Amino acid sequence: MKDYIEKVLGPRLQGDGGWVEFVSQEGETVELIFRGECSKCGILDRCCGWMEQMILKNLGQQVKIRAIRRKPYFQDNK
Amino acid sequence: MAHVKVVRRSMRPEEWTDLRFVWLQRGVYREKLEITGLEIRDARQVAENEYVYDDEAWRPLNKGDLYFTPDGTAFIRGHATIPASLKGQDIYFQLKTAAEMIVKVNGVYVGGVDPNRDRILLNPYINSDELDIEIEAYNRSKPDDERNPDTLAVRGCRQVFEGAYLATVRDNVQSLVYDYILLMDIAHCEYFNEDYRKFLFVELSRALDLVDFDTWEGIDDAARYVEERIYQNDDFKGSGDVALVGHSHLDIAYYWRRIHAVQKNARTILIQLRLMDKYPEFRYTHTQAYTYETLEKYYPELFAELKEKIASGQFEPVGSMYVEPDCNVPSAESLTRQFLYGQHYFRRAFGKTLDNAWLPDVFGNSWILPQIMKKSGVDYFVSNKMSTWNDTNRFPHNNFKWKGIDGSEVYACVPPTHFITWNMPSQIQENWEAYQDKETGGATLSMFGYGDGGSGATEEMLEMVRRFPKVSVMPKVEMTGGAEFLHKNLKDNPALETWDGELYLEMHRGTFTTKSDIKKANRTLEFKLREAELLCALDALCGAAYPSDALRDCWKKLLLNQFHDILPGSHIHPVYEDAMADYAETDSKLNSLFKGGERWFNSLNFTREGLAFIEDADGPVVRHGKRGYWAMPKLEGLTAGGAEPLKGKADWLRCQADGNGLQIETPYYSLRMNADGSFASLEDKELDRQWIKPGCGFNKMHLYADYPGTYDAWDILPNYKDVEHSLDVKAAAHLTAHDDVSAEFTVDFATDKSSWKMVIRLFADSRAIEVEHVVDWHEKHRLVKVNFGPDILTRELVCDTSAGYVRRDLTKNTTWQQARFEVCHHKWFDMSEAGAGVAVINEGKYGVGLEGDEVSLSLLRATIRPDVTSDMGHHDFCYVILPHAGDAIQAKVNQLAYEYNVPLTKADAAVPAMLRGMLNDCGLYLQSLKLSEDGEQLIIRLSEQNGARGKLRLPMTVKLLNLLEDEEGQTDVVAYRPFEMITLGIALSALK
Repeated sequence: MKDYIEKVLGPRLQGDGGWVEFVSQEGETVELIFRGECSKCGILDRCCGWMEQMILKNLGQQVKIRAIRRKPYFQDNK
Repeated sequence: MAHVKVVRRSMRPEEWTDLRFVWLQRGVYREKLEITGLEIRDARQVAENEYVYDDEAWRPLNKGDLYFTPDGTAFIRGHATIPASLKGQDIYFQLKTAAEMIVKVNGVYVGGVDPNRDRILLNPYINSDELDIEIEAYNRSKPDDERNPDTLAVRGCRQVFEGAYLATVRDNVQSLVYDYILLMDIAHCEYFNEDYRKFLFVELSRALDLVDFDTWEGIDDAARYVEERIYQNDDFKGSGDVALVGHSHLDIAYYWRRIHAVQKNARTILIQLRLMDKYPEFRYTHTQAYTYETLEKYYPELFAELKEKIASGQFEPVGSMYVEPDCNVPSAESLTRQFLYGQHYFRRAFGKTLDNAWLPDVFGNSWILPQIMKKSGVDYFVSNKMSTWNDTNRFPHNNFKWKGIDGSEVYACVPPTHFITWNMPSQIQENWEAYQDKETGGATLSMFGYGDGGSGATEEMLEMVRRFPKVSVMPKVEMTGGAEFLHKNLKDNPALETWDGELYLEMHRGTFTTKSDIKKANRTLEFKLREAELLCALDALCGAAYPSDALRDCWKKLLLNQFHDILPGSHIHPVYEDAMADYAETDSKLNSLFKGGERWFNSLNFTREGLAFIEDADGPVVRHGKRGYWAMPKLEGLTAGGAEPLKGKADWLRCQADGNGLQIETPYYSLRMNADGSFASLEDKELDRQWIKPGCGFNKMHLYADYPGTYDAWDILPNYKDVEHSLDVKAAAHLTAHDDVSAEFTVDFATDKSSWKMVIRLFADSRAIEVEHVVDWHEKHRLVKVNFGPDILTRELVCDTSAGYVRRDLTKNTTWQQARFEVCHHKWFDMSEAGAGVAVINEGKYGVGLEGDEVSLSLLRATIRPDVTSDMGHHDFCYVILPHAGDAIQAKVNQLAYEYNVPLTKADAAVPAMLRGMLNDCGLYLQSLKLSEDGEQLIIRLSEQNGARGKLRLPMTVKLLNLLEDEEGQTDVVAYRPFEMITLGIALSALK
C-alpha cells in the first residue's frame, strides 16, 4: 500500500505540485499526509476518492482515505 | 460620550448596479443545446505528445460526472448535429471548464476553451451540419494566472463536467456586457476622476433601468443610452499615452513539465490565431524560438497557419532567444547561444532577425547582457520585474538606455506594471500612473493577455480596445506591436536616461542557490560543451566530420533547462527530475564525442599553473567520491602532455592538537583551525601577514532558519540571520589523510536529520586551500552559508560574471546597497586591499551574501514550495580559498578559476601552431572554439575579462563576426576594449 501510494499515485500528484505520504493502514482506513498544493486544495476529497478507486482497481482493496493536510508554513494560519 | 459607528445596511445604488450587471451577463446565451453521447479517455502525458492511457476503453462523459485525474490529460470525443432551429445563426461550441482544451471539429482546429474563455465560433471553419468533435484537454489545476481570481475558483485535479453545448448568443446583450465590463471597472477604480466615477454610477444605473431582465427587452435602448450619455460625454478628461501589446507569457516548466508546455503553447497560438480571424486589428507578440520549434514539429497545420499570420504582421515573434532564460546564472557563452540558436531559428523559419530581447519574467539581468544583445543584432530589451517586484527601491526608469559592463548600450524598457494583465482600464491607468518617464520616454508599455496556458488575449480584451477611444477619461491608447512600440518610443530618443550597471532584482535572491544539483550540472556542462566543441573542431581541421547536429542538440538541451523557472530552482519536483535526466543524457552524449588519447589536453589558452585533480582508480585521494591524485601540470595553452602526480615534499606538514583545535604548519601557512573547521588564525609565511580578522569567522559554517514565505524557493529575506540553529560538531577537525603532497582534515557535523562532512585540504606545493563538503541533507526551511571574514580593508567585493568582473559595494549606507545583501557571482569572488587579498573559487555556487566585513557563500537551502523535496539528499561540492599577493587580476584569480572548472581531458588533439601562437597568452580568454553553424569557418570567441584595453595582432587576415556569425569586417589587428567579446571567423580552407 505504501509503495503503491508513494511510487505510483504520488508522482501523479507531484505533477500538480502536490505530495502524498503514507502514514498507516488500519483495517479499511488508510491515513495519508498531503503536502504542497494538495494540502490547500479545496477539492481534495475528490482526489482521495480517485485514489480509493485506483487502490481498489489495482490492489483489490476497498479502503477509505483519511487525509491529513500539512499546509506550507506560510499558509498555516488557522 | 458613547460613539456609535453608523453602518449602512441597506443596498447602495452602486450595489444595485453591480447586481444587475450580474443579471445582464446571464442573458448572453440565447440558446444552449447540450451535446450528449460524449466519451472520455483519461491519460497521463509521458513525453512530448506521448501519452499513457489509464484505460483502453472510452467511457461515457455526462454532465455532472467527475473528470480529469492528477497530472492528467483527457481526450474527449463526440458527435453533434446542428438542429434546424440554429441554422443560419452564428453557432458556438460552448464548454465551461477549468482545464485547457484544444478543440477540433471535423478535423479542423477551431479553437480552444479554458477558464478565461468558454466558447468557440464554428461558422467560419465548419461547412457541415454534422460535427465530429475531438478535444485534447490538459487539467489546469496549477496556480498559474493567480492574478486572475476567476481561475482560482476552479483549481483542482478532479473537476465536475458542466456539459458541452451548441449555443447561440444575443449579440446585443454581449455587446452591452462588454460596455459594462469597461465602465464598471472605471467606476470602481480610484485611479480615475472621482466625479466621473459618480457620474458613471448614476448613468450606468439609469441605463439598466431600461432593461427587462426576464424578456431581455430594452437592451438596445440601454446600449443607446450608454452611447449617448456616457461615450459621447467629454466633460471629463484623462491623460496619458499607453501602448497596448498583446502577449502571453509562457513558462516552459514551472508547475508543469516542459512536455506539457508543448500543448500550452499550441493552445495559446491557436486561440490567438482565431482572434486574429475575428479582429483584424489584433496584433500579438510571442517569444522563445523553442516554442515555435515545438509547434512546427508537433502541430504542423497550426504552424503553417501561423506563418501566414507572421507574414501579414498580425503575429509577431519577439525575444530573439531560444527560451526566456534565467539571466543571472548562465554563462556568457550560454547567453550567446540563446541568441545564436534563437535568431538562427527565426531566420530559417520566418526569414527574420529580431531586434529585441523580451524577458518579462526573469529574476534580474546580468551586466554582461547588453554586449551580448548588441552583438546578436538586438538593440532593444524588455523586462518587467525590476519595476513591479523590487522589495526595497523603486527602479527609477521605465523607458531608458542600459549600458553594459563593456560600455555597450541598448534601449531598455522595464514596463511599470505586470506582464500579465487583462486589459482593464484600471490596469492601463495604473500603468500610466506608475510610469516614471512620462516627460522623456514616449508612451508606456502595457502588455495584455493571460499567461502560462491561460492563452493570451480574449475577445473581451479586444472589445475593450475598440471601446477605449470612446471613454474621455482613458489615457490615449494604441494597440501596437512589440518592435513597433520600441522603435517608435525609444529609438534615437535623445531624452532617455541611462542606467549603467546590472539590473538587479530586489527579490528572488534565493534563486542563486536553490536546487544546488541543477546549478552544478549546468556549470559542469557549460564547460564540457566548450571542451567538446573545441576538440571536435580541432578534429575537423584534421579531416574528421564535425558532429554539428549532436553538439547543437546538446546545447539546446542545456539552454532549455536554463529557462527561468528551471535553472533558478522554482519548479515542482517532476521538473527537477526532467532536468537532471536531461543533464545525464547530455553528459553521456558529450562523452561519446570525446575520442580519448594518451595525453592530457589543456583547452585553455594559457599555461596552467594551478593544481589539477586527475582521476585514477589507484590514486591516493578520494574527491567527489572518486579516487585520483593531485598534479600541477605546467601545460601550455592548447597543448597536450603529461599530468604526473605531484612529488611533493617530505615532512612538509606539522599538526598538533591543541586544546579545542589544531595548530597546523605548512610551507605557506601557520594555521590555527577550530574544531568546526573554521580558521582562527591564518598566518601567511610568504606574505608575512595574518589573513583572519579578529572576531570574524573564516570558513565558518552557519545554519540559518529560512522562512521567506510564499516565494519559498525564490527568496532569501534580509532577516535570514535572525535565527541560527546549531550545526553540531560530531567529530572535531582532525587529520584524516596525509602524504607528501596534501593533507586532509575532516570535520563531521550533524543535525538530528542531516550529516555534513567538511574536508579541508592543504598542499605542500600550493597556496590553495580546498574545502569539500559531503552532505546527506534532510532539513526543512534551512539555509547554510559559509562565512569568510578576512582581515582586509576594502569596501568592495569583486565578483566574476563569467565574462568580466563586477565590483559590488560591501557598505550598507544606502537602501540600494542594503537591498543587495545577497548577489550572484560566477566562478569566484575576491576581497583585496593594496598588495594582497583572498579569493574564493567555486565549482557551481552562485549566491554570495554581503555582510559588511564578511562575505558568505550560500551552500544549500531546503525549501518546500514549489518542490516539497527541494535539495534533499546527497550533495558533494568544493571550493578553494586562495590567499594571494596583489589584487585579483595580478593574482590571476580568473585564470585559476578557469583551471578549477575546466578539467584536463584525455585527448591527443593537435592545434595548428599558427592558432596556438595566435591565441595563447593573448590577453583574452578563449571562450569558445567551434565550427560555424554553416560549417564553413572556424569560429573563435575571445573575451576580455580583466578590464584591459589592447590589440590582438593576428598572423593572418580573419573575418570579424558578430555573435550570430555574420561577417562585419576583416582585419589582422583587433583592437579590443575592456570586457569586450570578440568573435573571429577563419575559413577552414585557410587552416588545412
